[in-house]
Parts: sequence; structure tokens; C-alpha cells
Amino acid sequence: MTAVADLNDDVARVALDLPLRANLSALDNIALIPLYQRHYGAAESVQQAQAMLDQMGHAEIALLRDPDMTPAQRFVTKLARALILKRPRLVIDRPGAMLYDVPYPAFIRQLATQAGMTGTWEIFDFSWNQALYKE
Amino acid sequence: MNFLASSIESLGTKVVGWFTVAYGMFAFLAQAGLLLLDRTTWNRATFDVVIKQIYFTAVQILHVFLGYTLVISWLIITIILSTARDFGLTEFASEMTIRVLVLELLPFLTALFIALRSGSAINTEVALMQVNNELDALAHCKVPPMQFEFLPRLIGGVISVVTLAGLAGLLAMLMGYLAIYGINTAGFEPYTQTIAKIFDFEIMAGLIAKCALFGLAVTLIPVTAGLETPKKLFMVPVSVLRGMMRVFFAIVAIEVVSLALKYI
Repeated sequence: MTAVADLNDDVARVALDLPLRANLSALDNIALIPLYQRHYGAAESVQQAQAMLDQMGHAEIALLRDPDMTPAQRFVTKLARALILKRPRLVIDRPGAMLYDVPYPAFIRQLATQAGMTGTWEIFDFSWNQALYKE
Repeated sequence: MNFLASSIESLGTKVVGWFTVAYGMFAFLAQAGLLLLDRTTWNRATFDVVIKQIYFTAVQILHVFLGYTLVISWLIITIILSTARDFGLTEFASEMTIRVLVLELLPFLTALFIALRSGSAINTEVALMQVNNELDALAHCKVPPMQFEFLPRLIGGVISVVTLAGLAGLLAMLMGYLAIYGINTAGFEPYTQTIAKIFDFEIMAGLIAKCALFGLAVTLIPVTAGLETPKKLFMVPVSVLRGMMRVFFAIVAIEVVSLALKYI
């Protein structure tokens, strides 16, 4: 698992050890990326973040902060943050540790099939969970 | 012999610890200073966070702070006036009021106020960010924590302490006038002359520098103490305790050095 944490800079990771900023809303956590990396204005960054949540079908979590989110909502926010990074690879690291309130292979599959989702998502999971993905 | 050796060893460890902490603080300050000079730092995002910090540190508490300043100033002015009357030194009362309150006591109390309210909050927040890996997550997303989290707090702290101490000083001078001369303009000329005599360039520059150092102490020390926290949740209270002790000693040291430079 150390190998996953050491993946290089062209990988956007969604992992338990990369939490959200606890005192920011889901929207602000996502908007940080366009704001600081691409130097968009605050309004434009928030708009991009909202568009990302809309696209994922979870617009309702925009104003929630980390402690107020369910594990699934937290995962969606982390995934949106990773997607807005626009890196060539997206790695979901041990999803079972983050998505313990939903049948997670189906949940991730459903998110991946939302309109406009591009690229390949790689899932790093324990071998004994492999059976879950075959359902 | 063993006792002596272990005492020396323990003292040495402590001294090395102090130097490490001081080095960490100065290195952090140097990094922040360099970043301040970098043009790319001054984007809209950093500016917005600075404004937010000033709001949370200074504006949000303004009414409580002014009320507290009013009470303290009124008490001190009353004590100074009655003592001056007892000793027949009424003509020095206004100068003494300004020197004691505006130059020394109010900036010191402002720094303590901000340290207890914002410094402790900053220390706790940074320590929790460190323990919860939030800083690593920001680094993974290439959001610079220095620009987004720390620099705005330092700038906000300095601006807040300087402006709050300035406001408190103005309020105290107004109260001093009212207490000494009452509600009339008879004493306006002698009072403003006393103010002009005290506030020469050197004193003003020293006062602003002292308040800026107070502002830096109440934000820089909690940030660095928070960053030193080992990644264990139970260490957060220890980090806040250490940070706030350092803030207290730094504020006292700044005040002592300022007094020594002025009066010795």
C-alpha cells in the first residue's frame, strides 16, 4: 500500500489518507483546485466545482462540511476533487475503507457512468475483495 | 556522577530543543517573508483569505474588544487621576495616562486578547490539520498550504493587532480627555499638545513595530507549534499548551525589550 501513496504527480488519488479540509464545504474543497492551480477567480472556481457535483448527481452536498457528510457523500467530494485535478490517471485507493455505508463496487460503477465522465479509473483494493466486483 | 551526567544531558537536550524550535520558527518566518516578496503570491485567492482572516480576528470581536477596552481604560484612568490628585501631580495626569495606557498597557492587552482568542484557535486548527493529514492532502492537490493557510493568518494577525491596538489607543485618549477635562473644549489645546509631544516619529515607529511583532508572535508561534505536532490525536492539547506558553513568553519578551529600549 506504500506503493500507492508513492504514486507520482500525474496521478489523482482518492484515498482515506487524503482527507478533505474539515472546515470547508464540499464546494470549497473542490473549488480550491481551479482557484490555486489555474488561478481562476473565486466565483468561476465555485461554478466549476458546482458543475462537477451536478455532473456526478450530488449537487445537494455542496454546502456540507466533512463532519456533516455520510461516508458516501465524503467519497463523492473526494472523487470530485480528484477529477477536477484533471490528471492523466485517477486511482481509488482501498474504496472499502471510505465507502462502508454502501455496496461500493456498484456505487463507484454508477458514478463512473454519469454523463461526461472521461478517463479510466483504477481501483486498488485488497485481493480478498475481488469477488465483490464480479457481482 | 551519574546524576551529574544525566542532569547535563537533560539540560543539553532542553537547550538543543529550544534552538530547534527557534530555528524552525525563523526558517518558517524567512519562508513566509520570501513568499511575501514573490509576485505570484498576491493573487485574488490569497487576498480573499487574508480579508477573511482579518474579519475573523479583528472585525468579528470588535464590539467585545471595544467594551473591554472601555472598562480597562476607564479603571486605569481613574486610578491615575486619583493618584495624581493625591500627590499634587495633576498636570502630569494626561501624559501619564497616554504613556501607561496607549503606549504600553493596551497594545499588551490587545496581543493577549488576540492570542487567547485567535492564537489558540490557530494552534488547534493547524495541529488537527497536521494530525488528520489535511496538509498532505493539500500538497497532493498542489494547493500550497503556505499561501492558502499560513501566510494569510500571519498577515491577518499583524494587521489585526496593529489596528485593534490603534483603535484602543484612540478610545483611551478620548476617555482620558473626558475624564480630565469633561465634556468641553477647554482642554483641547493642552491635551493635543501633550499628545504631539509624546508621539514623535521614534515613539510612533516603535509602537507600530511593537504591535506588528505582537501580531506576528500570536500567529507565527501557534502555526509553527501546530506544525510540530506528531501525528497522534492525543498530542493536540500538548501542542496547544506548548504553543500558548511560547506565545505568552514571546509577548512578555517583546514588551520587556520595548520598555528597556524606551526607558533604560
